[in-house]
Amino acid sequence: MKKKLLVVLMILGLMCSLVPASFSAEVITIRYAHWNALSDKYNYVKAFEKKYPNIKVEFTLIPEAEYSQKLSTMAMAGNAPDVLCLWECDISRFAKDGLISPLDDYVSQTRAFTLDDFIPAVRNLIKMQGKLYGLPWCFATEIMYYNKDLFDKAHVPYPTKDWTWKDFENAAKKLTVVKEGKVEQWGCDALGFQGLWYSLIGTFGDDIVNDKGQFSMGKGARDFLQWWYDLTNKDKVIAAPQVSTSGVISTDLFMAGKAAMAFNGSWMTSVYKDIKNFRWSIAPIPKGVRHYTTLHTGFFAINSKSKVKDAAWKFVEFCMSEEGQKLINEAGNNPSARISILKKGYYRVRGPMGPGVWDAIDESAQFGQWGYVLLPPGLTFDIVKDFNAAILGQMSIDDVLKRTISRAKEILGEGGVASE
Amino acid sequence: MSSKRGSIVPYLYLLPWIIGFILFTGGPILAAIFLSFTKWDLLTSPIWIGLSNFTGMFSPGSDFWGILKVTLIFTVFSVIITMAWSLFMAILLNQKIYGVSPFSFFYFAPAVVPLIALTFIFQLIFSKELGIVNYLLSLIGVKEGPNWLMDYRLVLWVVITLCIYTYFTGQMMLIFDSALKEVPKELYEAAEIDGANSLDKFFKVTFPAISPILLFNLVTATINSLNTSFTLIYPLTGGGPGEATQVISLDIYTNAFKNFRIGYASAEAVILFILVAMISILEFKFSSKWVYYEV
Repeated sequence: MKKKLLVVLMILGLMCSLVPASFSAEVITIRYAHWNALSDKYNYVKAFEKKYPNIKVEFTLIPEAEYSQKLSTMAMAGNAPDVLCLWECDISRFAKDGLISPLDDYVSQTRAFTLDDFIPAVRNLIKMQGKLYGLPWCFATEIMYYNKDLFDKAHVPYPTKDWTWKDFENAAKKLTVVKEGKVEQWGCDALGFQGLWYSLIGTFGDDIVNDKGQFSMGKGARDFLQWWYDLTNKDKVIAAPQVSTSGVISTDLFMAGKAAMAFNGSWMTSVYKDIKNFRWSIAPIPKGVRHYTTLHTGFFAINSKSKVKDAAWKFVEFCMSEEGQKLINEAGNNPSARISILKKGYYRVRGPMGPGVWDAIDESAQFGQWGYVLLPPGLTFDIVKDFNAAILGQMSIDDVLKRTISRAKEILGEGGVASE
Repeated sequence: MSSKRGSIVPYLYLLPWIIGFILFTGGPILAAIFLSFTKWDLLTSPIWIGLSNFTGMFSPGSDFWGILKVTLIFTVFSVIITMAWSLFMAILLNQKIYGVSPFSFFYFAPAVVPLIALTFIFQLIFSKELGIVNYLLSLIGVKEGPNWLMDYRLVLWVVITLCIYTYFTGQMMLIFDSALKEVPKELYEAAEIDGANSLDKFFKVTFPAISPILLFNLVTATINSLNTSFTLIYPLTGGGPGEATQVISLDIYTNAFKNFRIGYASAEAVILFILVAMISILEFKFSSKWVYYEV
């Protein structure tokens, strides 16, 4: 009797110990990598784990300088993270080689958001790639910055979203101050960050990357380069090109108060917020034959070889939900690609002297395109070196465009370049 | 039995280094040579394309010719300038004048500042609008200072001259310094008795006495200039404007990691290896004409 009781108790005890073990076996681990460290205050990974206690996220920080290469080598070795945050230049290659899974089915079934809520560029990318392969974790864009005090001094009305390049040219001429043959104040600073060249050329009509994903540049670039060359060298209202490190200029004439206008990435708002000596604000890039600007992002994508795709999607879904987007926008000061959340402005970091009004970002998001960011960064950076040489008068614009097309054909193949 | 053991033991001591060399240097070198005959974008498997990378590189309209020219000019002149500068500094520091020690600190200080930090400072110093060089020039009447780092006629020479601030130049200075201290004083005394002036003393005594160290620094400076070329030029000018400062090492990096063309980049690396080997062989070959191993 005693023996039988003992056996029953032992079996009960075993079952009791197995039950929590079987529950804990439910915990799924997903691997996720990013180039930014997780912020202590706005940790979206921790927030996700709190909401889904049965999913653990193993986070890996990959330094920005080697991010793209590291992800590529991991993918080749078959051990890429379950959730990738892919750079724009990598998403097409990864999709083409079947390394990431389409997200269309997941997105059509989710209740956290709809595709209509995204900025137009997301739907354009789906058209280009045939399926939805990635969701932008947030975005940055390229805009115009202007010095309100210098505009007031010269009695020039502030830029608006309806500004054309003619308005810009007139303002630049009025805002350039020359003393004893030397320019003391420039109407506009030279283009530093490489993206701006492509954004401005886009306003002159070139697609940069067309619907088929081909490199497309021609008349727009020619017209723009000639016009910018004249403003720099003949009218002398735009400062001469300056040397930069990967597009970051060390001598920022706008920040020094020596240029009334400048074109740069929207991320510079977090640098310019420290400006103390003058009031400033932002405006969309002026209109040429159309409005155009470039968008920058990282795309959340799911590794096609992942064994925990559903859990990986739960993480992506959370990051794209209002809760996740709020944390991500606040952490990096970058706006959401979801229009409803973009309007709420969680990304805004106000400085004492500007920008005051943030409409330029919302407006730019409406006509922004991925454009050049989809292409290999080496190609787009080298082309900009030639653009600078053209503005400096060291190379003719025709030669620059010939070299650009031949370089693009060499790197992208003949099929990768649209015929003019 | 003991003689057999005696012959293996040294190799056993060398084994860790040999294994490390094979795994981390030799192996990758062989892999790069193999990859130079392929087309590979890091994601899918390499595709064998034979000599296409090399024929493309050396075809008539290719950018590579310009890059080769810039690399050769950079290497030759940066080696000459950095060696001359470090030798000159070492000679100055060997003079018996009061207060020379603080000078040696200041001459060596730039060598220990990380090169990437120095490049930002150089960008500020040589800025056309806000840089101190153009400001000083404006004080002596030059209204419109040149765009030092964006003028294709000037930029390469500015970059070559800035090599004197690298760590390796500082290292060469120290090596020359110790070599100069080793020159027997009696030789100088004997030369003075024979009526030699300073220049004679330098060319007839100092130069031959330190010639083995000169050769060592010459060869290592050549090899090192190809490393420095990337570390200095990538942050400073990025290879621009146009292709004015595009050196091979920078092109390898851009093609491999920014254009996803590992095969082409490996082919460029093979050409660079051959170039360095050829220059080093030439340097050794002609060294017998001016190097004295016994003083």
